[in-house]
Amino acid sequence: MGHLTRRGFVGSAALLAAPAIVRSAFAADTVKLGCLFSSSGTMANIEGRLNHVVRMAADEINGRGGVNGRRIEVLTSDPASDWPLYAQIGRQMLQQERVAALFGCWTSVSRKSVLPVVEQNDGLLFYPLHFEGDENSKNVVYVNSPPASSVLPAVDYLMGPDGVGAKRFFMIGSDYVWPRTINKQLKGYWKSKGIPESAWREEYVPFGFSNFQTLVNQVRSFASQPGGQPIVVLTVVGSSIPDFLREFANQGIAATDVPILGLDMVEADLEGLDTGQLVGHLNCWAYLQAAKGERNQRFLADWAAYVKAKGVPFSADTVIDPMVSAYDSVHLWALAAAKAGSFAVPEVRKAFAGLSFADPSGYTLTMTGENNYVSRGVFIGSVNERRGFDVLWQSPDAPKPVPFSPYG
Amino acid sequence: MNRVRAVLAALAMLALPALPAAAAPLERAALAADLCGDAAAQARGAEGVVRAAADASAEDLRAAGHLLAALAERRLACGSAGALLLDRAGAPDGQDALTGATRPAAEARAPVLGLRQRALVETARAAVALLTAESVAARAAGLTTLERRAGAVPDAVLERARDAESDPGLRASIAGAAQAAALSSADPEKRRTAVAAVAAAPSGASLARLRALRGEPAAASDPAFARALDAGIASVERAVRIGDGLAILYNALSFASILFMAAVGLAIIFGLMGVINLAQGEFIMLGAYATWGVQEAFRHVAPGLLDLYLIAAIPVAFGATALVGIAVEALVLRHLYRRPLMSLLATWAVSLFLVNLVRVAVGTQNLQFAMPPYVSGGVPLYADFVVTWNRLFAILFAAATLALTLVVLRRTPLGLDIRAVTQNRDMAACLGLPTRRIDRLAFGLGSGLAGLAGVALCPIYSVNPGMGSGFVIDAFMVVVLGGVGSLAGTLVAALGIGGANVLIEPLSGAVAAKVIVLVGIILFLQRRPEGLFAARRRR
Repeated sequence: MGHLTRRGFVGSAALLAAPAIVRSAFAADTVKLGCLFSSSGTMANIEGRLNHVVRMAADEINGRGGVNGRRIEVLTSDPASDWPLYAQIGRQMLQQERVAALFGCWTSVSRKSVLPVVEQNDGLLFYPLHFEGDENSKNVVYVNSPPASSVLPAVDYLMGPDGVGAKRFFMIGSDYVWPRTINKQLKGYWKSKGIPESAWREEYVPFGFSNFQTLVNQVRSFASQPGGQPIVVLTVVGSSIPDFLREFANQGIAATDVPILGLDMVEADLEGLDTGQLVGHLNCWAYLQAAKGERNQRFLADWAAYVKAKGVPFSADTVIDPMVSAYDSVHLWALAAAKAGSFAVPEVRKAFAGLSFADPSGYTLTMTGENNYVSRGVFIGSVNERRGFDVLWQSPDAPKPVPFSPYG
Repeated sequence: MNRVRAVLAALAMLALPALPAAAAPLERAALAADLCGDAAAQARGAEGVVRAAADASAEDLRAAGHLLAALAERRLACGSAGALLLDRAGAPDGQDALTGATRPAAEARAPVLGLRQRALVETARAAVALLTAESVAARAAGLTTLERRAGAVPDAVLERARDAESDPGLRASIAGAAQAAALSSADPEKRRTAVAAVAAAPSGASLARLRALRGEPAAASDPAFARALDAGIASVERAVRIGDGLAILYNALSFASILFMAAVGLAIIFGLMGVINLAQGEFIMLGAYATWGVQEAFRHVAPGLLDLYLIAAIPVAFGATALVGIAVEALVLRHLYRRPLMSLLATWAVSLFLVNLVRVAVGTQNLQFAMPPYVSGGVPLYADFVVTWNRLFAILFAAATLALTLVVLRRTPLGLDIRAVTQNRDMAACLGLPTRRIDRLAFGLGSGLAGLAGVALCPIYSVNPGMGSGFVIDAFMVVVLGGVGSLAGTLVAALGIGGANVLIEPLSGAVAAKVIVLVGIILFLQRRPEGLFAARRRR
């Protein structure tokens, strides 16, 4: 290391802070894929992992000789949890870098901001999160489940005799489109079941909100009112999730008193928490790390090996649904491109019909020509002492996705 | 007609408690098979333990307790050869639940408890703990759980526990719980004592229980009971209102303490040098990371003293962030004192640099903190008011910081110099004060205080590289509202903003609360641009 000159110092600082697209070595016989996942801001801790898993999937495909005779090159970026920046970087990737497909977005607000960009440029965005549905663009592949095949089965379970027979609902969400739409649909669903409006409450907090004392006080007083078993439907995102869980446990509410159904809660949100007091709270996804089967064991081992080999700054033994969904996305795209024998978006899109892929969850993902939705299995997980989820219930097969909700 | 109904009800009441006595004794093999069965069998097994708890031998109960605990913690492995108790979840072999022989757990499955069954298992474990646990604390914890599930335990279990209890305090508590359980007893005398017993432990839940009774025929037919009920409801209502008031006060104080901790360093830096330090949030983050470093050092060097790491981290976090602050001042800010806009941009760059440095060096995940008992959980103090230890820690920490900062500013030579330079920089320089050196030390002090905030926040918020960004805006709000450079102003502004947020939040939601408070501050600053407490300056 020579001396540290002031210019060198400033230069390295600029390098560390630069949010621009990180470009890997360029070669003519490659096809480019772009990632839109934040490595900074409130979503960094969970979104950041997805960049690496996309690279891992690409490495896997390259190891088998690539797609249509070309190697995959992955471009990553940092939209910094800043929603308009997703659109800006997405446009840059489509127009300047000519990527064959985009893989990205966690929050629905970021997807909504990229949507016009992929539609204008006729690009393809693979979106790996379960979401509120009510959208059907030919330029977005919805790799994860709409509410009808994730949230509603979980709420049904909690309301049914196997769950807790839930009668009253406290909805807490971050203030943006996903929680508001999900809650609107849930209210419509409950109305259709004849549940009166007095049986639920709805509260929203700003992004990155962490001072949950008053809200947890309100949950306790809601729970003590008569009218039947209360549950919390939690749709806060990002760093608000662990902060909420911590306050909930500290105020002494157990899952057997008031269970939380955390719709965006993943294994990574439990990092840094003492989950002994949180055992029994629920989430619902199309994949859980505890999923049985050899395919999952292999995926977990592959990820651990990849983290070790590449020095990835995330936990080697935590795998979350969106990671698997992002991994599935790359494979689905590669299968479609190979089937079409082309990287042109209209050809690839046509090839989606009838595609199937056996993914780590144990279910076989299928796509039809009807829309760009992917049919996935449903898991309900229960928090355990070891900062993970046990599989409490899983669907017998992968239900057919319903893009538009009839409730609300 | 009424009398007939009352007699029938009385008969039914008499018949019900007779059932558990007739239940089968606690069969270990049957219980193990039930707990390994489907959801209905698990529920049957747990309920069977509760019913048998009044008569079963202590030895049987202990064995049942081990099985239930193993099931709840996923240490129960069920194979074709019977149930196994594992030492930890996922262990390769364990002891047979009946014979105690060690067997491999290769193809055995560990059942996952559903929520409904988990509640029943918790109740059964609590009943077993109340009857058989060695320590008073464990028995008391069992009683607390049973009290939360009113009606889930037969009276005979509580009576047995009361008669067997050696600790007088706990025996009185059990007697109270047994009285409260008789709310729907046939004996009017018992019901009245039950109302009094329920009212003696006021909470939102007990209020709901009493209110539900008012609609029952007994309240209409028995005026003495109705009077006792109304008196009970009134006293519980009053207690719940007081408890809610205390909770608001506590929430306000805890939010204010966080705001104050984040803002106090800024108040000194901004007041003294007029530098708007946008990296203040990152100094808080560095303090939290220093705390984590101390924890890791304890883990390796003195694992026995791990619980004390938060205390040991106080000087380390202060020193480390103060050094970083001094370095930033010496390398960057020193050149920009006459250009406030440039210094603002420079501190922003510093904040980006620090975030990315930490991200590259440590990673973006939330850090794992071992939470010592003095900052985890809480204790119900009065009615529904729960004191959570992590918030109390932050409040006391903020109070101590305030006291120390006051001592430093009022009683030390450095404090005298800082106050002199804040009031009139040129005159202080003319009198021979090395203003540049004082600036540097003050910047170090301000940064160190941010590091202390990092220590206090570890038990409350998630610690990751981006945690600081949320604090800068709130901290500036506090400093500007309080009056630049005034410690008292910072304190009052933090209390005011914290209190306003907590008061408005239940009425209009957290999003609107933030907006309303912000608008309020803007209106106030238009009337009084110098803030609440304007420091006296000579110009």
